[in-house]
Amino acid sequence: MGKPKVAFYWCASCGGCEEAVVDLAEDILKVVEAVEFVFWPVAMDFKVKDVESLGDGEIAVSFINGAIRTGEQEHMAKLLRKKSGLVVAFGACAHIGGTPGLANFVNRKKIFDWVYFNAPSNDNPGKIIPQEKTKVEVGELTLPEFYDTVYTLDQVIDVDYYLPGCAPPPDLIMKAVEAILSGNLPEKGSVLAPDKALCDTCKRKTTKPERASIKEIRRVHEVMLDPERCFLDQGIICLGPATRDGCGERCINANMPCRGCFGSTSRIEDQGAKFLSALASIIDMNEEEEIKRIIDSIVDPAGIFYFYSLPASMLRRRLDI
Amino acid sequence: MQVRVGVYICRCGTNISENIDIDDLIQFSSRLENVAYVKDQPLLCSEDGKNFLASDVAQEKPERVVIVACTPKEHEKTFRNTLLRASFNPYLFQMVNIREQVAWVTADKAAATEKAKAYIRAAVKRVTLHEPLEKKEIECNTDVLVIGAGPAGMEAALLLAKAGRKVYLVEKNSFVGGKVARYEEVFPKMECASCMLEPKMDEILHDENIELITSSEVVEVLGYLGNFSVKIKRRATCVDKEKCIGCGACYEPCPVSVRNEFDYHLSDRKAIHIPYTGALPNVPVLDQGHCLRFAKTDSGMVQEALNLGLITQEEFENYKKQDCTACQEACMFDAITYDKQDEILERNIGSIIVAIGFELFDPSVIPQFGYGKIPEVYTGLEFERILSQTGPTGGKLLMKNGQEPRSLAIIHCVGSRNKKHKEYCSSVCCLYALKFARLAEKHAPGAKIYDIYADWCVPGKDNQEFLDSLKEKKNIYFIHTNLPLSVAVKQNKDSLSVSCVDVLGKENPLAADMVVLCPAIIPARDTSRLSEMLLITSGRDGFFAEGHTKLAPVSTNIEGIFIAGCCQGPKDIQSSVAQGAAAAGQVLSVLVPGRKLELDVITAEADENSCAGCMTCIGLCPYKAIMFDKEKKIAVVNTVLCKGCGTCVAACPSGCLKGKHFTEEQIFAEIEEVLK
Repeated sequence: MGKPKVAFYWCASCGGCEEAVVDLAEDILKVVEAVEFVFWPVAMDFKVKDVESLGDGEIAVSFINGAIRTGEQEHMAKLLRKKSGLVVAFGACAHIGGTPGLANFVNRKKIFDWVYFNAPSNDNPGKIIPQEKTKVEVGELTLPEFYDTVYTLDQVIDVDYYLPGCAPPPDLIMKAVEAILSGNLPEKGSVLAPDKALCDTCKRKTTKPERASIKEIRRVHEVMLDPERCFLDQGIICLGPATRDGCGERCINANMPCRGCFGSTSRIEDQGAKFLSALASIIDMNEEEEIKRIIDSIVDPAGIFYFYSLPASMLRRRLDI
Repeated sequence: MQVRVGVYICRCGTNISENIDIDDLIQFSSRLENVAYVKDQPLLCSEDGKNFLASDVAQEKPERVVIVACTPKEHEKTFRNTLLRASFNPYLFQMVNIREQVAWVTADKAAATEKAKAYIRAAVKRVTLHEPLEKKEIECNTDVLVIGAGPAGMEAALLLAKAGRKVYLVEKNSFVGGKVARYEEVFPKMECASCMLEPKMDEILHDENIELITSSEVVEVLGYLGNFSVKIKRRATCVDKEKCIGCGACYEPCPVSVRNEFDYHLSDRKAIHIPYTGALPNVPVLDQGHCLRFAKTDSGMVQEALNLGLITQEEFENYKKQDCTACQEACMFDAITYDKQDEILERNIGSIIVAIGFELFDPSVIPQFGYGKIPEVYTGLEFERILSQTGPTGGKLLMKNGQEPRSLAIIHCVGSRNKKHKEYCSSVCCLYALKFARLAEKHAPGAKIYDIYADWCVPGKDNQEFLDSLKEKKNIYFIHTNLPLSVAVKQNKDSLSVSCVDVLGKENPLAADMVVLCPAIIPARDTSRLSEMLLITSGRDGFFAEGHTKLAPVSTNIEGIFIAGCCQGPKDIQSSVAQGAAAAGQVLSVLVPGRKLELDVITAEADENSCAGCMTCIGLCPYKAIMFDKEKKIAVVNTVLCKGCGTCVAACPSGCLKGKHFTEEQIFAEIEEVLK
């Protein structure tokens, strides 16, 4: 029997997840040794027809990163699903929508209006916008459909496992690969990371007072950040309490608060709403007007609380547009 | 997985059946997933209905029960008990309210029936997710700690002691009676305060069930209802109360004389002293802060005493050389020992009554009243002492120069009822001002008495009559002002001038020899310290917050801790005593000897394996049921204290706190089915 076949594909993503694979450094050699890559557009020259020619379920595992925002991405996700034994949603965008998911606060029209007409750097006197079908001399050119809404991977196909993070850290990737190769896998649908909040391993936890209390909310550029002290205790919004652990506190160690890329723990329905509820609990004010003043001082609250998770949240998208 | 759900629909006579199509509901419900059978009853809460329910459940053996009837507030308990009779776990049951929420509010029968269907669908879905919950009981201690031995605390202690409870009555002063011990007479019937109080104080001293711990304060409280442990710090008074007979022979030889705080510094006392004649327990206190033996000669009291001229240079040198033993030598009963240290007493108790009383607002904050600057301006409590037979003037109404005043002004609402100071009405000032007028009229016959008031607050029995009787007195002049803060007191050469604008806008310049202010009643100084230690909340005005303004006036947010008297808000003696009695009643009913404490079943539960220790929940619990385990670095819910309110569950950002019987799964299932 040959080596297990593996595919790696990207949808609406930044390329950081591909980078994360390269970040495995010498460990990548172990992976290459153990598996046969059958599809990896960013690194190897395969075509879609190569995938199409494989039998159903022939690929042992497909790692798909990026959210789903075009027809082509949905098509490819479905194709890989059909051809794969396992599908792993790789990275925050595939897992919970990621930053592309913030587009769900607007719609296709608004995006196109901005990108092709209104952005100050535009020069588009012909008011040309991308068309799904364009007739040219040699025939008809097509572009994939651009959806109104950005979806998580599991909103368009069945997903077996999730590797969270923007991007997933190398140790979690290696652990996942080892688990898949050894067949030592947890329950289907699991997120392959610890199921506790980030505070569990955060070094700054010891500096957090028992009753954290926020009197002012500040943004990171407004204060000299104490590199030791709990961000929330400094009045900086940190999604750590509402975010799954396992990232190795890369942001925290760089003196930046958590933005929630690992998503919530398995017990939470809506990361942003849950964090909002927790934040409201530690506002240290009794007067209603003062509380309102503090809450109102949060710049772009929806964007902060749903930085990564809007498509996976109960809200999904904004409707009144 | 199939779960056998039994649905019982109550027609509630015609209350429900008139406006909802019951047959349609039965048909609809029986088609729902998991529903094994649907039965209807004319009146499920009647004896017949309950008997039917109990026997039918025993026979049908459902795994879950849904009862479609009225509000759970009315009959959830009834049906839980009925199900228990059938040996059915009462938490595997869900109630649907189609009376108050549907039949009585939705006029259209078809719409009402559809609405009822949605509720039933939600309940059937939810109930399959219910888990059986078991009641727990714990042993408890029924002894009681009462903090403060004023009228409220004494009443509570006495009632509890009569009921056989062991009571630890902790009082910060060396005497019992609270502020009332300072009064000569009380309104409206001008009763003698000490005659009224003494029998009670005597009972307190001699009741075997009461351990009176004076000159002490509570310094630590740990635990919860039924199981508190407290530490009480007792100041060393150096006088053995068993040996002392209260003869008073020790005061005379004491060389140190200081201002007596009991009389608000209007009289002097010795370092070893009794605050006033008649104080109970009648045991003197050696005040280590002023006694020469305990004062450091270099920088402390002796030097100060010399500076103040209280002792001569010669005496000063003597004291420096030798330890003073004047009081010990004078004592014929060997009751005085100097090597006593402050001690910490530990007691275990089940409940606490806080009755720490009040203080007065400091009128010097409002300069135009002249308090603290003009000698003949007094607060109400100072005036009480001047009127008292045990006070600085022996009960004679005299000014500081020893003369009787020929005129006196009493000013109401000093710091009360204005947005700048205290917004509330202090409730008793009008009546004690009238008492002052009445007593001044008696003690200084012919003197002119001006009563400057803003509004009359004299509710209750006999009080209006009291006011009316004084209005007839020709020497008492009532001046009505809308602006108590417009009153100004100035020192003239011979007397004081008091100016105020009356309701007609007229300036009223008055001359008065003495001015008595009625300052706002404010929380006692210890209120915030105790609030922090006991974790009980205070209101905006600083007084302890009651559980419910109308329905739970002596309860607090913490189970097993009750409040009584002026620490809950300004009130008269009568109301304080009533609250003391009410708090005693609460204690007697919540903890009963021999009965175990039944705990709430629907509580929060922390999953220690998934808690990340983010501490978001720690400060939130209104019942202080969540602690942070510093060793394991996780949150722990004390289920004895938890009331299942769900505040922490909603806040827990990683979902490790679960609200039993209100899990996220159950709630979402219910919402989804209602909205389907």
